[in-house]
Amino acid sequence: MNEGPMREGPMSEGPMNPVLDIRGLRLHLPKTARPVLDGVDLTVAERETVALVGESGSGKTLTSRSVLRLLPPGATTEGVVDVQGESVLTMDPARLRRLRTHTAAMVFQDPRAAINPLRRIGDFLTESLRLNADLPAADADRRAGELLEAVGLSGRALRQYPGQLSGGMLQRVMIAAALMGDPVLILADEPTTALDVTTQAEVVALLGDLRERFGTGLLFVTHDLGLAAAISDRVYVMYAGRIAETGPAEALFNRPRHPYTAALLASTPRLDAPPGRLAAIDGRPPSLQEELTGCPFAPRCAFATQVCTEEMPPPLPVRGEPNRLVACHHSDRLADQLAGRTVHE
Amino acid sequence: MSDPAVQDALSAAEPVLEVTGLHRAFGSVRAVDDVSFTLARGGSLGIVGESGSGKTTTARIVVGLERADSGRVLVCGRDRAGHGGRAGHGRAERLRRAREVQMVFQDPFLSLDPRTTVGGVLRETLRLHFPGDRAGHERRTGELLDQVGLGSREAGALPRQLSGGQRQRVAIARALAVEPTVLVLDEAVAALDVSVQAQILNLLADIREQTGIGYLFITHDLGVVRCVTDDVIVMRNGRIVEAGPTVGVLADPQHPYTRLLLDSVPRPGWDPRQIAEARRAL
Repeated sequence: MNEGPMREGPMSEGPMNPVLDIRGLRLHLPKTARPVLDGVDLTVAERETVALVGESGSGKTLTSRSVLRLLPPGATTEGVVDVQGESVLTMDPARLRRLRTHTAAMVFQDPRAAINPLRRIGDFLTESLRLNADLPAADADRRAGELLEAVGLSGRALRQYPGQLSGGMLQRVMIAAALMGDPVLILADEPTTALDVTTQAEVVALLGDLRERFGTGLLFVTHDLGLAAAISDRVYVMYAGRIAETGPAEALFNRPRHPYTAALLASTPRLDAPPGRLAAIDGRPPSLQEELTGCPFAPRCAFATQVCTEEMPPPLPVRGEPNRLVACHHSDRLADQLAGRTVHE
Repeated sequence: MSDPAVQDALSAAEPVLEVTGLHRAFGSVRAVDDVSFTLARGGSLGIVGESGSGKTTTARIVVGLERADSGRVLVCGRDRAGHGGRAGHGRAERLRRAREVQMVFQDPFLSLDPRTTVGGVLRETLRLHFPGDRAGHERRTGELLDQVGLGSREAGALPRQLSGGQRQRVAIARALAVEPTVLVLDEAVAALDVSVQAQILNLLADIREQTGIGYLFITHDLGVVRCVTDDVIVMRNGRIVEAGPTVGVLADPQHPYTRLLLDSVPRPGWDPRQIAEARRAL
């Protein structure tokens, strides 16, 4: 969709005008043997939809939460998280509050867990603007009504309680709440996982419309590679706290260059895959108590050699493919085999 | 009554599970509205639908966790739903019914006792259903763990020391312990990561091949349905809107709702706007 501005940039890697720029982010938690995030690089440009894909424990949620500095207790960070050029990890509390109300907003997975069931929808929507005395109450109410209509609900919902709305409607309310402060960036953490498939399509369509209308960048965190490929401009695949592979959605989906991406595609029960057994990935991701020396995927990788267990592969550009980085020692050698594993005739 | 000779005499083609005219209302909501289907011996039937479609209520009636207002559930020709019927409420009857149909729930974090070890869970189930024979239980526990791909190391573990996938393997082993004729799986792989989900789906396929157990597979995921079922019924608002062999229903859906469900599965080139419109039109 909006690939133009991103591809034409003078920089060969990454889009221009990033609203979000994460560089070398490392995050340590107490009582763990390895960092939960280990050198994450990620950018989101204006109007760009970027998907961050990974399984549980990969660090995808922590990455998105670090953008609002919503970190677990005892966490220590290294690296840079810039939102519109401002450093999130070092800003003072007043600016942080401003960031959370105006610049970037989060839509969580379970709307029922993120909203106070005893307060009316209208109170919920205008709360942050009223608390920060940004807008007179009447103006805040008007804006809330407008945004409810923008997400396909009637202004009547302002007077209703969360219990009176369905899950899909509540997720629309959450999206409207995210837009209240007129953010440049929306972080959506599995926003459709708790919804039915047909409702998921509606919410995704809505997020697409809003991007066009308000020009916000969107970081969409999901475990669903199919959904990521369907909705985003670029995809990052995370494994054990590192970016395994990143690139334009279509290229990554059709021609994976990292064995983990290929294995993830092959183990997904897709409608267009051949019938029969799935190509499951044996084993499980490394626990936080294990120190990693080489590639974190090596113990589960069919293509691993000695170098994989000894040296951590750095993310390297793929020849002839802009915006594509792969952290695998054997990526070039495996290109054809990996594509063959997922393309079925 | 539970004469094994009678069961053996049933031919393979005869259904092990026969559901006819099932109704269940909650107040004015018809959660299950005239639902009928059969499951062949060793077959696998998927029930697909969204929340509120009645798929879980149907499953719970089959298992016996929910009562039907009317309709019949026969397992190997024996009545089971027993609304005001003759199905007994005594302990022996209850255990017999439990041996016919077992269930695996969605959330492996909630369906296991946090204070009981994996081996303890299986031994408890075996003691309840096959009293006596302590030595036999030890051997059978080992077999069951082996069947679901767990080792002696996991036998001594508590649920919190296991991953989600391992816990779901324990839940499957517990269900298999009583050698049920039918296994009801209610979104049993929905909470698992993709790579782990594939392991469990393959495991379930192996078990069906080895034991000839029948599956009633409740899910919202059409990819999963395609992967593990022979036949499928599509439910909406308590009613069956389409039924047939899985391959046929997915390749050539007849009902607009089935088509909408298929179109809603995200894939490259997917148009969520069109789906949202189709949904409103339906």
